[in-house]
Amino acid sequence: MSGVEPIGAPVPPGDPGPAGDVIHDLGFRHYDGPRLGRGWVVRSLLVETVRGVFGLGRPARSKIMPWVLIGILLAPPLVLALSVLLTRSRELPLSYTAYPVAMQLVVTLFVAGAAPYCVSRDLRHGVMPLYLSRPMTRADYVLAKVAGLSLALFAVLASAETLLLVGALLAKLPVGDQLGGWAGGLVTAAVLSVLLAVIGLVVAAVTPRRGLGVAAIITGLVVITGVAQLLTAIASERGYDALASYLPVLDPYRLVDALAVRVLGVGAADGMTYPAGVGGALVLAAILAAVVAGGLALLVRRYRKGGGL
Amino acid sequence: MQTTGREPAAAQAVATHELTRTFGPVTALSRLDVTMPRGVVGLVGANGAGKSTLIKILLGLLRPTSGRAEVLGLDCGTDGPAIRRLVGYMPESECLPPDVSATELVVHLARMSGLPAEVARERTADTLRHVGLHEERYRPIGGYSTGMKQRVKLAQALVHDPRLVLLDEPTNGLDPAGRDEMLGLIQRISTDFGISVLVTSHLLGELERIADHLVVIDGGVLQRSTSTADATRLSGVILVEVTDRADELVARLRAIGARVAEGGGQSFTVEPTDDAVLDAVQGGAADLGVGLVRMQRRRHHLTEMFREQEVTDVRR
Amino acid sequence: MNPVVMSLTLRGLLGRRRSVLLVLLPLLLVGLAGLVRWASGADPAQTVPLVDGLGLGTLLPLTCLLIGTGVIGSEIDDGSIVYLLAKPVARRTILLSKLVVAWGAALVFAVLPTVLAVEVAGDEGARLALGVGVTAALAALAYVAIFVALSVVTRNAVILGLLYALLWESVLGGYVPGVRDVSVRQWALAAGERTLGGDAGPWGVTSDVALPAALVLLGVVTVGAVVLGVRRLQTLRLTPAE
Repeated sequence: MSGVEPIGAPVPPGDPGPAGDVIHDLGFRHYDGPRLGRGWVVRSLLVETVRGVFGLGRPARSKIMPWVLIGILLAPPLVLALSVLLTRSRELPLSYTAYPVAMQLVVTLFVAGAAPYCVSRDLRHGVMPLYLSRPMTRADYVLAKVAGLSLALFAVLASAETLLLVGALLAKLPVGDQLGGWAGGLVTAAVLSVLLAVIGLVVAAVTPRRGLGVAAIITGLVVITGVAQLLTAIASERGYDALASYLPVLDPYRLVDALAVRVLGVGAADGMTYPAGVGGALVLAAILAAVVAGGLALLVRRYRKGGGL
Repeated sequence: MQTTGREPAAAQAVATHELTRTFGPVTALSRLDVTMPRGVVGLVGANGAGKSTLIKILLGLLRPTSGRAEVLGLDCGTDGPAIRRLVGYMPESECLPPDVSATELVVHLARMSGLPAEVARERTADTLRHVGLHEERYRPIGGYSTGMKQRVKLAQALVHDPRLVLLDEPTNGLDPAGRDEMLGLIQRISTDFGISVLVTSHLLGELERIADHLVVIDGGVLQRSTSTADATRLSGVILVEVTDRADELVARLRAIGARVAEGGGQSFTVEPTDDAVLDAVQGGAADLGVGLVRMQRRRHHLTEMFREQEVTDVRR
Repeated sequence: MNPVVMSLTLRGLLGRRRSVLLVLLPLLLVGLAGLVRWASGADPAQTVPLVDGLGLGTLLPLTCLLIGTGVIGSEIDDGSIVYLLAKPVARRTILLSKLVVAWGAALVFAVLPTVLAVEVAGDEGARLALGVGVTAALAALAYVAIFVALSVVTRNAVILGLLYALLWESVLGGYVPGVRDVSVRQWALAAGERTLGGDAGPWGVTSDVALPAALVLLGVVTVGAVVLGVRRLQTLRLTPAE
């Protein structure tokens, strides 16, 4: 086995060795410096997660999927801006809050690729004991992963929103309106990022097998969109309008959109009708909070049970 | 929350007091009372003996049902994170992701232990050198041999300069040469690096070589806690082998009241209660005209502890 | 065909998590069919969007993907295929046995539920059911063969199969005309269209592809996939995961 020296071999010439220790050539240097606390640890893990989602620090092939999807997501804003210029309309054909909903397939694919990378690998290879034997708790780990994925998603969505703004300004649309819309778009992007991150990580954490997490997330989100549409159509066909206003919310993209409509007062994507009034807004907010909190709890529980230590 | 400098040294590495842990009807640890000194401590126990439960409690990841446990003077129930800052753990199981290199993994884990970024990188390079990983540290772990993987696991346990390392079956899956190297490394960790070690193993022979102290656990109950020196000290027995007429020599020795146990063939053991017995052996052999092949003091072996246990078990 | 391989495969397929999904998806389809019936009053024309869109377009290929990757994909992934390959059974036999089990499972978990959904959602004298049944059966035949072959060829079969089933068949098939000619679903629909005869038009079961061409393409793709699968299994190299 070349390159593996037996323990106790003399230091190769040219290696200066640790300073000041004359008795042992290979002295083990003790560390008396600062040991940073949980905040640093969580931050480190978060940064590591975000970098991994974008393929940084990983081989080239893992950069393809995320960046191709990002490219697809960032291309239309410029096209939209162009269409505004050409049609001389007074507003963007697709509002800031409607954009993620319209591009939901691409966003779903991105989450489906990123979430399993964040958690499935650690579970599949039993790495958790190495984390848990360190000064961090399971909750820290979950928090770092959720925050990391949310941050990465938000970065992508926010970039798209900002490109929309740039396009709109270049197309000479009124600045005030656009800035307001853009701000609203950022807020919805943030909420959507957290929601999708939690959902994606929960699914990924229960499907550690290779490829299964990706498939499960894509399938789940696509099927639920289709089912929500169908159920809404059925309910409104039969005249259950109140129910028909709640059913779209089964789809996470629509849940966030509905909140945006109620809270920010923007127009709904695709002209959907959502639960009306303050009561409706409260119900929507409650649903959102419940899903996020429930997802986090499930994640912590998953690591408590199957963490390996 | 930062700490600088080393905590005051605790006399004991690990101390438990009436430590009990139950999982419903199953008792994993039962009133375990043991102190493990600094140095190399061997923990012997079959699977299911409570070993992993004990490790989880020592790492502060599991609360005892009753009793206390202390690691390096810190209470396991309340100071878990502080303990994990000072302790390194080398798992027995497969725990390495195959698509990163050793350097990347250990740097990442060093940061997870609270080391600042630059320090993590430096100490990783040092530690990997100490465990004997050189150019291969830049290749993905998936292509490593078992020996190299064990070294990576050890490196991540050492990189943050712990006060105590818990090594779970460190020689698992290694060939004899690898075993020797790992045992040598463990000894160096204790003597050269000044880090206390708690090693678990199924192989008593290994522990005999490197452990200063031994703890035996079975069924969650402490069986033995003894220093290796005591357990393997020169036994008070002499092995005698002659060329012929051993039975007559035995009879003579018994006549003068010495305790003799026959060993089969031309050898037997005798307890040298005083010099008269030794003289009697030599004189008797000369009288009988037989050659004295050997007179040898025997050492105890650790396996005797288990044979004793077996015998008492059988008698019960 | 080797009965032992078949029974082992069947047992593996119906183990825990995967079987939960295998049952869940058809239940979902039939449940939705019930709701559609309630909403539309058992009108066959209303049944078709559900069955064609969600059923044939999404749930059928998904179930076939689950089955196709389930019969051989996970074994290759964790390396336990070695035990099977080391037995004195021809690799062709192994693959064909697994394929037969997969086709049978697809019949039970994909084709029959789709037909049932038609009946539940609203039909006229089981004619639509027949047409849909023919479509579903042919599509399942091809899908399963494709996905089994994919599982042998690549480790990423699940993702690729998913992208194919959802992106190619469902989404792009809806927007890009050229794609529709190279789509298993369209080929299968051609057969369904012919089966329904005069009802096909009003009920909306139409295909862009002519029947002879469709059948030929289906046959070529199915047989080709089987051949590819066998070939690849015969030269399979087991590498460590990732």
